[in-house]
Amino acid sequence: MKVLDRKKLFLVNSILLALLVLSAAACTLLGPVRLDLSQALTHLFSSNPDAEILLRARLPRVLLGVAIGGGMAACGVVLQALLGNPLACPQMLGVSGGASLGGILGIIFFPNWLLPIASGRLGEISWIPLAAFFGALLSMILVYRFSLFHGRLHPYHLLLSGVILNSFIAAVIMFLNSIVDFYQAQGLLFWLMGSLSTRAYLTVGFIWLYILVGFLWLWSKGVSLNLITLGEDAAMYLGVEPGALQRQVFIASSLMIGAMVSVSGMIGFVGLMVPHVMRLLIGSDHRLLLPASFLAGGIFLCWADTFARILLAPAELPVGIVTAFFGGPFFLFLLYREGRRSLGL
Amino acid sequence: MNAIHTHNLTFGYKNRPVLHGVSLSVAGGEMLAILGPNGSGKTTLLKIFSGVLRGQGELKIKGKNIESYSRRELSQFFAVVQQEARVNFPYSAAEIVLMARASYHSPLTLENRHDLEVARTSMDLTDSLAFADRYLHELSGGEKQRVMIARALAQEPEILLLDEPSAFLDLRHQIQMFELLSRLNRERRLTIVAALHDLNLAALFFPRLVMLCNGRIHRDGAPGEVLTEKTIQDVYGIRVRIEHDSATKKPQLFIRPSVS
Amino acid sequence: MICRSRFFASRFFLGTLIFVFGLASSGNAASESIPRRIVSLAPSITETVFALGFGNRLVGVTSHCNYPAEAKRLPKIGDFMSPSLEVIAAKQPDLVIGVTGATDPARAREIERLGIKITLVSVSSVSEILSSFKHIAALLGDPDAGATLVEKITAQFGKVKRRIAPAPRRSTLLAVGLRPLVAVGGKNFLDELITLAGGENIAGNASQPWLNLPDEYVVAKAPQVIIQAGMGSDASRPTRQWSDLKSIPAVKERRVYTYNSDKILRPGPRIGEGLEEIARLIHPECFNVGKSRGARGSRCEGSGS
Repeated sequence: MKVLDRKKLFLVNSILLALLVLSAAACTLLGPVRLDLSQALTHLFSSNPDAEILLRARLPRVLLGVAIGGGMAACGVVLQALLGNPLACPQMLGVSGGASLGGILGIIFFPNWLLPIASGRLGEISWIPLAAFFGALLSMILVYRFSLFHGRLHPYHLLLSGVILNSFIAAVIMFLNSIVDFYQAQGLLFWLMGSLSTRAYLTVGFIWLYILVGFLWLWSKGVSLNLITLGEDAAMYLGVEPGALQRQVFIASSLMIGAMVSVSGMIGFVGLMVPHVMRLLIGSDHRLLLPASFLAGGIFLCWADTFARILLAPAELPVGIVTAFFGGPFFLFLLYREGRRSLGL
Repeated sequence: MNAIHTHNLTFGYKNRPVLHGVSLSVAGGEMLAILGPNGSGKTTLLKIFSGVLRGQGELKIKGKNIESYSRRELSQFFAVVQQEARVNFPYSAAEIVLMARASYHSPLTLENRHDLEVARTSMDLTDSLAFADRYLHELSGGEKQRVMIARALAQEPEILLLDEPSAFLDLRHQIQMFELLSRLNRERRLTIVAALHDLNLAALFFPRLVMLCNGRIHRDGAPGEVLTEKTIQDVYGIRVRIEHDSATKKPQLFIRPSVS
Repeated sequence: MICRSRFFASRFFLGTLIFVFGLASSGNAASESIPRRIVSLAPSITETVFALGFGNRLVGVTSHCNYPAEAKRLPKIGDFMSPSLEVIAAKQPDLVIGVTGATDPARAREIERLGIKITLVSVSSVSEILSSFKHIAALLGDPDAGATLVEKITAQFGKVKRRIAPAPRRSTLLAVGLRPLVAVGGKNFLDELITLAGGENIAGNASQPWLNLPDEYVVAKAPQVIIQAGMGSDASRPTRQWSDLKSIPAVKERRVYTYNSDKILRPGPRIGEGLEEIARLIHPECFNVGKSRGARGSRCEGSGS
């Protein structure tokens, strides 16, 4: 009987962790401009261009990419369990739409306001992520209220209210796009498509803490997530209270998604594809699927951002385009192979 | 103290009443089958017993009100086999059975050797060990059902509820399953309540039958008392002939279709 | 016989009358072909039409058209990105003028289908902008006005060029958005203006006119001047946006400027003034009033890097 055991858990996660560290290092060293590493290291904390490229321009965004890639993948895993559908993704909940809209309103009305804290060494922090997170919270509350019946969050209602909210928000965003001036519209478009561009270690640190805590909590619910995929009734028979689990998981993942989109805009495909790929490789037991997807998501987004910086240099491609561009066909290929296998071909 | 005791149980959806004043007691170690036509309330009754639905009236499990148990507590002695198992995610049969052990260990630990042993034994009992590592969605309806029964057994329950467990099984596996249930009932004093549609098999394997009709208990007793030509006529509206099999001493139905 | 000639005479007289009449009215038709009712689909076009002296012919402008002041009082036909077809049609224009790349081509086709004459001018380079002045002036019936405007701007360009001639070129980043960082690229009239103003656009080799620049690129290219244009707010401490990248010369020497007006961003008749503004930011030492000049020759030679 082949089931999850300690050895497999340790082995898979160790390999992925090692790959993650290597990827992060590689992506910090790669980019559209040449980095003189020796120069950078000898002058690490002074105002030397190579040091600044390494420490202030690249490292924060690589770290952010790892956190957001991992967070998106983990949220994708739990949302697929919550909605009972292996093809669910974080965008469906409407939270990311709310965050996008909040961010856009921030860009339009106070694009350059900075938080009056921590300037200089830790990088400047703008108001835009806060505005975006506020939008995310509002959406989360809306979807929650519309989907809660007798203490349960039914997948059907969650999906429907998420889709409707997303459509509405898309319409508002299009409207806003049409009334801003030409130059603001450019900025809006780039924000919407997602970017890991950041120099603020404070933001990166905060996001890391937030996502790590969220992820660890979700991982602790691994068994319950396994059970809920069997259906609400079956989960109940096996000892899980579905309503409580659904509510908690919804709020936790919504908060995580809201925070991520607030900082980096909407980066799609990671939350849909990474869990599915990992499921095909290592199985559906959430106790392994969650950490494995988290690590794999970090690796994926790290590289995607590097490609985004290099492909059309000096321009930076929105990272969401890279994830879709490379992720989409690969995912289709996997689906095709899986389809053949399940038909016995 | 009864395993299940309900008094004056009533339940209905918005404008559709389903159960009216059902009173029933199931003693520990009893094996009973709930019979009745479609819509008579069999599944609803089982769902209320297992805590999925909440009806009005009294419902005590092992002497305590059902609501005083947490789900986790309940799942440690109370197992249910559903009518249909639909799993949207690729789990293997072994993984499915092992999920039954969730309420026996902390959420932060993996299953231990004992859990694996229980799972293996349960699958062996239901003749499903051969496809333990195959994906559930690749199995036939009958194979899936046997895995589900194995999962219920892996909970090491004292009370087992089954909702039409023989629906997808071929004759051989149906007999095997009922024989297994009888054995478990004898050897482990497992209380068994099953909703069935096959009256003959119910009569053969279950010492007590409860016949529902329009949400009420029509007859409750030994097969000889419940399975009478008049009862079948009243409840199902069809004419049959009942004969007592000399070997098993149980009543069996012979169908008389109106077109002959 | 006299009766017959009288018949012919009257016919001949009538014919001449008709002919002369026809001539006169065709002359009217010729003057009617000059557009009298114009709709502008872009702020730069509105400015151009006013600068050419035909502001009084404008019957509709976009909601973004705010210069000159009179333009603000003109009826609006919608916004820059999506003008309203019905409002435009209701104005019964003789000519609609838009900008290629900014005016939606589908919208332009729809206007055409309504039977309204529409022309799109291209403004992606300085020479194209100057040509657009001549083109529009010709369409509006006064080619001389176009030539005059071009001369005026060329003169402005020349004045700036002479001012900054002795100063060394300074690498420049011209950003129209900060979060995310949207910079002026190549194939953009602003890129040319930067060059004319004595600067060197660090993103000038890009093929896109606007691009999202990663921070590492800005650090590597080490611009000596950073201009943040058209973004409003926090003009008081523009350097703060870059305070953690002290290796950038512009940050070290505090040559980071915020420029709030859209004067320098419109591909229209104010590009001469816009050029001067940009030059003032890139080479402020060449524009200092009151500094002694005679003694050391030209005032901005060899001053600073």
